[in-house]
Amino acid sequence: MDERTHNAQAKREQIIEDLTKAIVDAAQPHIDPSTPREEIDKRAKEITERLQFESNIALSELVTRFSRIKPATEQPAQERTYIRFGRNFRAQHMLMFMSVILLILTGMPLKFPEFGISKFMIVTVFGGLQNSTLIHRIAAVGLIIVGVWHVGYIAFSRMGRRDFWLMIPRPHDAKDFFHTLMYYLGRKPSGPKFGRFSFIEKFDYWAVYWGMVVMIGSGLILWFKEMFNKGLFDIAREAHSDEGLLATLAIIIWHFYNVHFNPEVFPMSWVWWNGKLTESQLKHHHPLEYAEIINAERKEVELRAEKQSTGAESES
Amino acid sequence: MRMRVTLILFILTVAASVAAQERCLICHAKPGFSRVEETGRKISLFIDTTIIGHSVHAGKLCTDCHVDVTTIPHARELAPVNCRRCHYSGNPVGAPQGELYDQYAQSVHGQEVAGGNPKAPICQDCHGSHDIKSHDSPDSRMAKMNRPKTCGGCHIEIYATYRESVHGVALLRDSVMDSPDCASCHGEHNIGRPTDTTSQVSPAHVSQTCGECHGPMGVASKYGIKSDRTTTFEDSFHGIAHQMENRTVANCASCHGFHDIRPQDDPKSSINTANIVTTCGQSNCHPEASVQFASGKIHVDPHNKESGLVYYITKFFTILTIGTLAGLFVFIVLDLFRRAQRSRSGK
Repeated sequence: MDERTHNAQAKREQIIEDLTKAIVDAAQPHIDPSTPREEIDKRAKEITERLQFESNIALSELVTRFSRIKPATEQPAQERTYIRFGRNFRAQHMLMFMSVILLILTGMPLKFPEFGISKFMIVTVFGGLQNSTLIHRIAAVGLIIVGVWHVGYIAFSRMGRRDFWLMIPRPHDAKDFFHTLMYYLGRKPSGPKFGRFSFIEKFDYWAVYWGMVVMIGSGLILWFKEMFNKGLFDIAREAHSDEGLLATLAIIIWHFYNVHFNPEVFPMSWVWWNGKLTESQLKHHHPLEYAEIINAERKEVELRAEKQSTGAESES
Repeated sequence: MRMRVTLILFILTVAASVAAQERCLICHAKPGFSRVEETGRKISLFIDTTIIGHSVHAGKLCTDCHVDVTTIPHARELAPVNCRRCHYSGNPVGAPQGELYDQYAQSVHGQEVAGGNPKAPICQDCHGSHDIKSHDSPDSRMAKMNRPKTCGGCHIEIYATYRESVHGVALLRDSVMDSPDCASCHGEHNIGRPTDTTSQVSPAHVSQTCGECHGPMGVASKYGIKSDRTTTFEDSFHGIAHQMENRTVANCASCHGFHDIRPQDDPKSSINTANIVTTCGQSNCHPEASVQFASGKIHVDPHNKESGLVYYITKFFTILTIGTLAGLFVFIVLDLFRRAQRSRSGK
């Protein structure tokens, strides 16, 4: 690092420190005097970090825009990627969609037995009801395994626990929803900025959650019907049939729109296969998550630098 | 001259035939006229002319049917009368004939006869011989009220069972003419084995056959019997399995029986609360059936308010499905619309 850069860095740090102090000072007359000193210091530190983050973004913007070397635009293949779905999660999704496809193919004809295609599916393709119901039960076991697996995943895996925490709906999701509507209706210039999971993704997740509970619960009653009451059987059958249709339509219309037919990803988003998002995709779809990642990385680098310098000091 | 010859010939023919008829009756009109078989069984050969006189064939000659009698005394064993000598399509005497005989030939009875079964019925076994009446005559052996007895002549145990069933009681005791006799379910000349896939009482067709009366258009509703029995069956898993050509699942008869169908409150009924667990629990159906599984209401229509909770579950899912999909659809349309707008503005 040459001296000029070093000086500029130091100066920038100084300015940020002064600016933080100025902000805190400006707020001083309005702060409740009973507020503990540490609380104010904590907030001040946050302000500093935020200013550092913003200035980093501005710096990288300047560099990428005016540097003579432009690797990012000229070699997009080398764009940095981020893991969105881990190997475990992708495996869950694969087992799930294989099960669900079989369940739909063997289940839907029984909801619409009067259609010629239904009879064709069951009698010609699967070779009779005996086979199709067996396949339905095998696929059902697959789905139950996914359910148990996922519950284990969100309980015991670090990434699962974190993601489940982030999946829980919060008030800002409602705000984001209305923000999106306003944006669609042209009342706002841009959509809301999402974190790791947008309200749409949360909806998808919880819809599947509800669907799994209803389908597995009612399906088990239908499977082991002899143990239950006929009235409960009737309810389970109706719920199984209706929720099955709802889930199928939601998958075909909503999920396929998002991951297949949406002009942005058409013909298919490959995240389910490789689990990766490119930097620009991440920045575009999950800007808050992106900011968090960048911030955390920067902090880590700083921490390492600090450690190095303290190590050097103690050595000397 | 020729005219005179024709006339004489005609008179001679008529005279001869009357004479022939009278000649048969020389023996057969004697009330005690009979013969003894080698087994010692005595067979009456007496013919009551009044019975023939009241039959649809009154006026026909004995030899019109018993064509193998050409001399008197005639052969000891005569061939069975072949009705098709007159009852064929386009016959000049106007004997009624459709494709019924062909149907009979394909039926279980026709095929048994063709296969040489001496007990299998030919026309006169069901329709009667000297006493044959027009099918719309109430005295006919084939009249609705008489049919069970006629069939019961051979199928005696089935007749005994049927007579005590809800259908038998209604028809034979209460004279409810809408109640089914044998032919209502089994058909007439086209009668087939239950295992024959084209038969009206084969598993594939049984619900259709019962539905003639117990379906939406059926006559059963006239008597306060629910007319949604076949539609609720078709919507049930059993009914759907049948539509998928699976014949191992229950049809109407599997639970209700067939010749022995009885009303639910009859303690002998297969669907009486005392017997329903055994009925559902047949070894090839639901052997593990519990009491609470079997004793619930069958033939439930989820779209009927009377079905209780199921009705509200159905409504709930209808609203949930329409609401969710409408919402998602609107979101997609808005998203596409916004995208199009943005790409038009060149971004």
